[in-house]
Amino acid sequence: MNRLRGKIVNIESSESISLVEVKTDIGNICAVVVETPETAEYLKVNNDIYVLFKETEVSIGKELSGMISLRNRFECVVEEIQKGKVLTRLVLKCGDNLIKSVITTRSAERMEIKKGDSVTALVKTNEVSLMEIPDGS
Amino acid sequence: MGADFVQTLFLTFKLATLTTIILFFIGLPVAYLLAFYNFRLKSVVETFVSLPLVLPPTVLGFYLIIFFSPDSFVGKFLEETAGIRLVFTFEGILLGSIIYSLPFMVHPLQSGFSSVNRSIIEASYTLGKGKLQTLWKVILPNMKQAVLTGIVLTFAHTIGEFGVVLMIGGSIPGETKVASIAIYEEVEALNYGRANLYALVLFVITFAILIVVYTLNKRFTKAENL
Amino acid sequence: MKIKLKKRLKGYKGDFILDVDISIRKGSFITIFGRSGAGKTTLLKMLAGLLKPDEGFIEVSGKVWYDSTMGIDLPPQKRRVGVVFQDYALFPNMTVEENILYGMEKKDEDLLEMLLSLTELKELRKRKPQSLSGGQKQRVALARAVARKPDILLLDEPLSALDIDMRKKLQEELQMIHRTFSLTTFLISHDFSEVFRLSDKVFVMENGKIIKEGRPDQIFVQERISGKVRFSGEILQINREDVVYIVSVLVGNNIIKVVADPDEVQDLSVGDKVVVASKAFNPFILKSE
Repeated sequence: MNRLRGKIVNIESSESISLVEVKTDIGNICAVVVETPETAEYLKVNNDIYVLFKETEVSIGKELSGMISLRNRFECVVEEIQKGKVLTRLVLKCGDNLIKSVITTRSAERMEIKKGDSVTALVKTNEVSLMEIPDGS
Repeated sequence: MGADFVQTLFLTFKLATLTTIILFFIGLPVAYLLAFYNFRLKSVVETFVSLPLVLPPTVLGFYLIIFFSPDSFVGKFLEETAGIRLVFTFEGILLGSIIYSLPFMVHPLQSGFSSVNRSIIEASYTLGKGKLQTLWKVILPNMKQAVLTGIVLTFAHTIGEFGVVLMIGGSIPGETKVASIAIYEEVEALNYGRANLYALVLFVITFAILIVVYTLNKRFTKAENL
Repeated sequence: MKIKLKKRLKGYKGDFILDVDISIRKGSFITIFGRSGAGKTTLLKMLAGLLKPDEGFIEVSGKVWYDSTMGIDLPPQKRRVGVVFQDYALFPNMTVEENILYGMEKKDEDLLEMLLSLTELKELRKRKPQSLSGGQKQRVALARAVARKPDILLLDEPLSALDIDMRKKLQEELQMIHRTFSLTTFLISHDFSEVFRLSDKVFVMENGKIIKEGRPDQIFVQERISGKVRFSGEILQINREDVVYIVSVLVGNNIIKVVADPDEVQDLSVGDKVVVASKAFNPFILKSE
């Protein structure tokens, strides 16, 4: 699981769904959650919060061009690559932060990803969770 | 082997048996109290119980004589009201033995009580059983080793005692002359053969008792660790 | 049933006051949940009459067991409680059967047979406790506690020392006994899945105080993560699979498998209590037959 700390900068809500924008070290991350400021206390602008997303939900783009619906995109450098039979695990450096991604080995080979490559990490907004920071930590 | 030899041995074992039986019933509540309750004078009671361990038997015997002599207040009172005389009588040495062997009964029982798992006692209470029933059915059966140790130590210690019995009992054949005193007297009279006979019998019997105890204790321990 | 008790306790971090004021519906299955040292066992012992509170009030089925203002303090023998102790506290000098019979007011052969078969102890009836396994001892303790036909059953972490399979089986037996004898049961536990499976109501205890009470799902499902799909469970297995790990989590009676990163697995071990969460967007719903 990738976990980043950030500050809520914007909240847009409909009936029960909110789009929350969180400012983090690697840029702004958006999350769609089935909560609104009325149902969840932590949904407040300027609140510190954790942003969570699973490594299996992090897609990788290389030399991206054209349009794409994904809003969360981070420019990274491949720091480490571990190839398995089916899956490949990438550790990506984005500023001072490390993001982990798990993609299929087949894709990794097709894209010829290797250590030191510049890639774009992409995460769908509905795969991003928010977690309250427990008191005192 | 004369009649007086048998008489002396019989008296010795009679004294030890009676002391042990009486002490068991005195020691039980005392040890129970000391093991399970905290009260203000607990250290005082504990000190009194342990005193015979360190005090020379002659000190105890001396005070018993002073206390119970027919001239003293207590001695006079006992003799006039109950017709009991405790100096130079069997009852006297019995009392002396009971006091003198008290720690040998109380200490093993007390540590036995403390060693019994508190929660089985509490379990018995929550199952609606009173203190007495819990004592007989739950506590004592689970401290057999301690009970046995207390009984045997008391018995053996009473057989071996000398000072108190000599002080309060003198050496009246058939009444207060026990084996340990007989040995002393035979040696004084240079009858080494007789002295040896007494000593040998005491030695063999005491040895036998202790060996039985240690064997049984081993069995209990094994059963407990099953 | 009303319980209102106060007692000064010595904790490892200094003294604290146990202060509890709860009322309980007859026939419910209650769990007292909390860390060790929170005062759970003390509370149970005060209920059983094994420990004297400083002040307070206990009323069970209309009968006053303890009332400090009136000077009422029934001894444990007069309170209709069955207690299963943490160490089972079986009588080593008695057989399984004798242990259970000892708990009865009058010898009741039918009840004995029923308890022996309920707890599957029939074949072991003549055995001494020393030769039994942990699970078997636990059953004897349970049968013995119920033999007195108590109003309330108090269980002090009875299952914590057992392995998962045995625990599950005993949880079922416990529930059956709770219903068969229409008991009001108090269980001390710090095991999430146990609390979920067994209890109607949970009291969370901390430093001698009840800090939360309610249904288990109300208490333990905290709105901390924005995920909408969430289960509490216990880790059964952690397996390496390719470059990731598969963590098997027991949730209720189901095993859920979750993919985890090697970094995450570092602080996880088998037996850990965990929450499995997912966003509301991911799960499918399929109608079952």
